Amino acid sequence: MYEAPLEKHSVNIREVVLGDGEKAKKIGGENTFPFHFFEGTLPNPPGLALEFLDMQPENWTAWTLEPFRDVVSDPLKWAGKCVGEYGAEILCLRLLSTDPMGRDASPEEAAKTVKNIVDSLNIPLIVLGTGTEDKDSKVLIEVARACSGKNLLLGPVLKGNYQEIAKAALEHGHAIVAQASMDANLTKELNIALCKFFPPEKIVVDPTSSALGYGMEYTFSIIESIKQFGLVDKDNMMRMPIFSDVAGECWRTKEARESEEQGILWEAITGMTFLLAGADLLVLRHPEALRLIKNMIS
Amino acid sequence: MILIGEDLNVMSNTISQAIKERNPEPIRKCVEGQAGNGMDYLDLNVGPQKKDPAETMEWLVKTVQDYTDLPLCLDTTNPVAMEAGLNFCKQKALVNSASGVKESMETVMPLCRKYSAGLVLSVINDAGLPSDADERAASILESLEFANELGIENEDIWIDPVLLPVGVDQRQVLSYMEFIQMIPDLAPGAKSVCGLSNLSYSAPKGLRGLLNRTFMVIISRYGQDAAIASGFDEELILLNKGEMPEIVDLIHRAMDEEDLDISNLSQKEQEYVKTTQVLMGKTLYSNSWLEV
Repeated sequence: MYEAPLEKHSVNIREVVLGDGEKAKKIGGENTFPFHFFEGTLPNPPGLALEFLDMQPENWTAWTLEPFRDVVSDPLKWAGKCVGEYGAEILCLRLLSTDPMGRDASPEEAAKTVKNIVDSLNIPLIVLGTGTEDKDSKVLIEVARACSGKNLLLGPVLKGNYQEIAKAALEHGHAIVAQASMDANLTKELNIALCKFFPPEKIVVDPTSSALGYGMEYTFSIIESIKQFGLVDKDNMMRMPIFSDVAGECWRTKEARESEEQGILWEAITGMTFLLAGADLLVLRHPEALRLIKNMIS
Repeated sequence: MILIGEDLNVMSNTISQAIKERNPEPIRKCVEGQAGNGMDYLDLNVGPQKKDPAETMEWLVKTVQDYTDLPLCLDTTNPVAMEAGLNFCKQKALVNSASGVKESMETVMPLCRKYSAGLVLSVINDAGLPSDADERAASILESLEFANELGIENEDIWIDPVLLPVGVDQRQVLSYMEFIQMIPDLAPGAKSVCGLSNLSYSAPKGLRGLLNRTFMVIISRYGQDAAIASGFDEELILLNKGEMPEIVDLIHRAMDEEDLDISNLSQKEQEYVKTTQVLMGKTLYSNSWLEV
């Protein structure tokens, strides 16, 4: 009788811990490709984070706003609802108020918001800046300091600000999201630079994501190849868990903004596709998209 | 390997300025430097040369020949400049280049025939750059047939498989190697040539030479006949002359052995090994490939 060959790999993706205490979550750790339970071990299910903002959202569609309508003016209540009502086990706080092109809130103000949440809710927290190298560097250093020892996941850490942010993360015991856009060579380059002084088991990589219909295939290929370089080629600098910010990209699309059902499916399908490619941690916006993905993978 | 010096190039500000001002001095320096370092040909790259193409190329060819007897490789996409240059070459020149693009075959190949010059023929065709070795083979066979029918023999053809930067697509570097090994069967008598420096485009400036030199040794082992390369990279020239046999041997071992122990090697030797491993596709390329 025919037996399908099994591919075993001798190394695993590094396991990264998010948060501290009993609600801490682990991601990564697998020695095989996504959902290949027949070939290896995947000790941790993919991490699914719900996002919230540190200010009232602008330009959100009615259906992404609706689940949070009563709490959007208060980040702490918003976070609480994500956990209590929608069952999120990881949260992602986007510090939109710090955008230098927008409200340009100070690093201190942002750090205060984060600390307030961390002190009140003991749950793994991703904290994202706005992708502006200079400002993010100031903001994330302040956040790292204010929440010392809480093992946050801070990002995005880019080529132009990795030194400052990673140094603060190291000093205060946080993990980081290293972001290099759609290029495995650049992902590796940034990891090499980081690992000269930063522990690899505290790095999650973000190859940046595109939504369904807007280049999702490219993201799929790059996630897949990063995982292959790590597992098959045993490339030490490519064995980091992979992060994908699905929320931000999906809800920008015309299609997701056209109707509630379509939007939720757009986000769930994009997210699920990246999990199949090998992503270890997703950021989602709509609680229903979170529920759909949870059901699919449980 | 036959080396074609690449340094007379309008991409260089000094050269471009000298051509514009018809100032022979920088040209002399560049020609004598490359010739003195043992280049076999000199490439004259004037780009598209939109302004006074014929007069410019004529001046450049005559000026270069004032300082050297080396054969020239005329590198322009402008057929008017090409013909003007060919007219004044004292030695059998190389036309750089024609491709399988219809227009190129119909304008450049007849010129080559008319002046009995050698022809650099790239694998690019109307469909673009072939994506693997087999597609390169299919493309070159078509263009070769066209050239042979015009009366250009394989012996006068220098096949350019088109080398892409390792930082852009590592797999293309591997299919390059695969393809050059097919050339003796595909086109008996033809030579292979490449723009070696293209390999390291986008790599850190100080490390480009290392990539180029290592790759030259690798493809030389696979039968590559010629390369357009820097006439001022002394180590490249020494390697090519066979004066650094221990490095060549080390590169060959790094090509063959899965896990070469580098702990006892000097830093320079380690760099050649790491670079070979990247170029052979054994490890993923990044701009900091030497730092791991």
